[in-house]
Amino acid sequence: MEDYAERIVDKAIALGCQDAVADVAVNRSYQIRFAQNQIVISNRWRETTASVFIVYKKRVVASDIKDMTRIEAQVENLVKIAKVSQENPDYAGIAKGPFKYDRPSVDKKIVDLMDGSDHVQAAVNAAIEEGAKECAGSFWKYDEEHFLRTSNGARGVDRRASLYLSIRALMSLESSGHGVACATKASQFDPEKAGHKAGKIAALAKNPVGGEAGKFDIVFDPLIFGSLIDQVGGRAGAWTVMAGLSPYAKKLGKKVASDAVTIIDDGSADSIGRKRFDAEGVPTKKHAIVNKGILKTYLHNTSTAKKFKTRTTGNAGLISPDAHALFCKPGTWTRDEIFEECKDGLWLTNTWYTRYQSYVTGDFSTIPRDGIFRIKNGEVVGTWKDIRLTDNLINVWKSVEGLSKNVDQVQWWGEVYVPTFAPYALARDIGITRSAE
Amino acid sequence: MADLDLVDFAVDYARQKGATYAEARFEHQTNEDFILKNSVLDALYFGEDAGIGVRVLANGGLGFGATNSMTKGDVKALVEDTVKIAKAAHRKDPISFAPEKPVVTNWSVPQVKKLSDVPVEEKIEEITHIDRELKDLKFKIPARYFQQSNKQIDKYFVNSEGSKIRSFSPRVRLFYFLTVAHNGNVEQTYQNYGWSGGWEALNELQMRRRVIDEAKSMENSLEHGKKSPEGKMDLVAGPQVSGIAAHESCGHPTEADRVLGREAAQAGKSFITPASIGQRVGSPVVNVCDDPTMEHGIAFYAYDDEGVKARRRYLYKDGIINEFLQNRETAAILGTRSNGSARATTYNVEAIVRMANTFVEPKDWGLEEMISGVKFGVYMKSFMEWNIDDKRFNGKYVGREAYLIENGEVTTPVRKTVIELTTPTFWGAVDAVGKDLEIFHAGFCGKSDPGQALDAALGGASMRLRNVYLR
Repeated sequence: MEDYAERIVDKAIALGCQDAVADVAVNRSYQIRFAQNQIVISNRWRETTASVFIVYKKRVVASDIKDMTRIEAQVENLVKIAKVSQENPDYAGIAKGPFKYDRPSVDKKIVDLMDGSDHVQAAVNAAIEEGAKECAGSFWKYDEEHFLRTSNGARGVDRRASLYLSIRALMSLESSGHGVACATKASQFDPEKAGHKAGKIAALAKNPVGGEAGKFDIVFDPLIFGSLIDQVGGRAGAWTVMAGLSPYAKKLGKKVASDAVTIIDDGSADSIGRKRFDAEGVPTKKHAIVNKGILKTYLHNTSTAKKFKTRTTGNAGLISPDAHALFCKPGTWTRDEIFEECKDGLWLTNTWYTRYQSYVTGDFSTIPRDGIFRIKNGEVVGTWKDIRLTDNLINVWKSVEGLSKNVDQVQWWGEVYVPTFAPYALARDIGITRSAE
Repeated sequence: MADLDLVDFAVDYARQKGATYAEARFEHQTNEDFILKNSVLDALYFGEDAGIGVRVLANGGLGFGATNSMTKGDVKALVEDTVKIAKAAHRKDPISFAPEKPVVTNWSVPQVKKLSDVPVEEKIEEITHIDRELKDLKFKIPARYFQQSNKQIDKYFVNSEGSKIRSFSPRVRLFYFLTVAHNGNVEQTYQNYGWSGGWEALNELQMRRRVIDEAKSMENSLEHGKKSPEGKMDLVAGPQVSGIAAHESCGHPTEADRVLGREAAQAGKSFITPASIGQRVGSPVVNVCDDPTMEHGIAFYAYDDEGVKARRRYLYKDGIINEFLQNRETAAILGTRSNGSARATTYNVEAIVRMANTFVEPKDWGLEEMISGVKFGVYMKSFMEWNIDDKRFNGKYVGREAYLIENGEVTTPVRKTVIELTTPTFWGAVDAVGKDLEIFHAGFCGKSDPGQALDAALGGASMRLRNVYLR
């Protein structure tokens, strides 16, 4: 595989390219999907993909090569395309290597796992024990090897292996809960805990009534708070800012959240999103995107960094920079204290379909799903349904008053794209709307 | 195309290894994306995606495996693995497929101007031309982002019942995102157009005119737009708004896999149950269809990814829940037949129940005629923010281009009109449907795990809704 990456880079340079990158990924992942408490399909992948980036006289072409029997011919074609493309005056090269990386290490027990059905069963049984009638979700064994070469001297090997389970437990269509389990070590993987959590929320959420519109104090469960953290990471990419897809333009050094909030991107730390290098081969490291409420940096590759007169943060993707793994710095409150401080509000456990009316202002809405609970004096006093959180991203973050000491690693289909460590959070006066009569 | 004998081999070998049913789908996709941001061609993406996906039924379990290594040894190993994981499911009730007759055929989408014949320079010029025209407008457009995409999909599908189907499907898309600024306020738009066919798409869709008109309407909205009125009033929804409502609150809730809970942990379930067929959800003038055979709709196909012939599906007919979107698995559970709704984005994911070209079927009202019958209300041509809950009951669409209607006439632009209604309230309020069908608004419909963002057309005729709450 190293040879494939080498051949791609060498060929591109031989054909006159100034820069070339090849990241050959070998995917041996395995998945089980389940629904109605049973396995509905098992999926297995055996794929090799070379993500390629070549530059000829500032003309940038990106590609994924899948047919390794025609590497040279495909690179020739890419260079031919680059030659008739247009110059990108913003292109500022790729990072200069060589770089040193930590030695990759993965849990052999994860790599060797051939059947995940026991994990599925454990999660489903736990949810049913809590009272759930129907469970659905997916179990993943992620297993990828990466071989990276760049024309600027970066040579890296990485192995990424992790386990993941997502379970939604339902008592009925409108009474449900969701739990996730993430681990890079088999011994730390706890699908049962995820099942219990999903089942408990589902059981507590029985017989919901239609919610009301207004301003409410909100206790965010880690899964939904992870979705909001994901929005920060996603909108902090320099490319996203330049495209008008972010409320963070011209806000570096300014207040974008309350003092309680510090959000860090760190691809080098232990998480299911850990990677040793970005798409240019730059070693990943820790960067505070938001520190005590102040926007500290955008996420950069070499070109966007030059545009913003700074240095790459090691977040290069094939075209635009992205977050690797997000960490919300834990607070000082216990989970119970978070709830106790919510005198008259809501506890939201999950959400989906976050969409913006204006990315520049940050006006958005998102739809809470699974358990939605009415809280009075820290206690659950009722269950709601059919509401929408309608507010502004920066306002929501400025309204965060307290964070729990403990954080959960979360990732979820459609909403928490980037693996995220999220606490419980309390935010004040958040807008809630609902369908009109 | 690779050695297609391997595709037949995969099916035969899976049967030898104990599969009661097997299918294999080889795909070769060529993808080009031209990414222009603020007049700079950031990058050109060119990819060739090719490989084989094998799906089997064995011991009542379903297995799927995919590889891009098209050697006999690797395909053989993949099939062995796939049969093994299917058998390991140990289901109480075995999965089965509704019966279908084998089909042997070829189909392809014609191109007036073949995508492969159009030079890269000409494709780049098309978006840079639009960008130049935008810059020539005498107002501020500080962020302009275009993505022009061309896809050509060659497929070969084989199953153990004797089906062998080859197909070729070229598709063209233009996505753009604009930010217009005026006196410290901003308006943003996100538009996505799609076409099955060749490079003639850009002219046929009149993309240059559409983008310029959109930018002008944004400036007009910023300069003259008023706050949208609040309260109960009439609404005239343009084809783009009808289209998103058709997709979100009709197409999705009638997907049989969602109704049966297979998507519960991801895209969600549905307020509709198997017992809902025949129940009223809208007024008698509402017909919402999904039709893969709509010529040039971006989701055109003649046979689905299970080899079932495509046809028009009336999901809501005369305001009644009429039919679900079915694949062979859901059809077997519900005791019916597939209506050809199984699709996959690429070779390496299973085919599941999907919408294709979903739209409000046109009737005979003219747009002006509908507007003339409104004393006070809003004409919403397009939207920006939208979302719906995972049971598809509470939808929200926030206006991008919208105008006040006063005494039967369109007057001033209004900003950010919010429709936040339940599905039956929305469809139940429709009293007139226009004749102005448009099906070229293209979406990436998200579903499944791993996520499959699939080409889908969202369209419709304009509609008039009476006495709905707007704000």
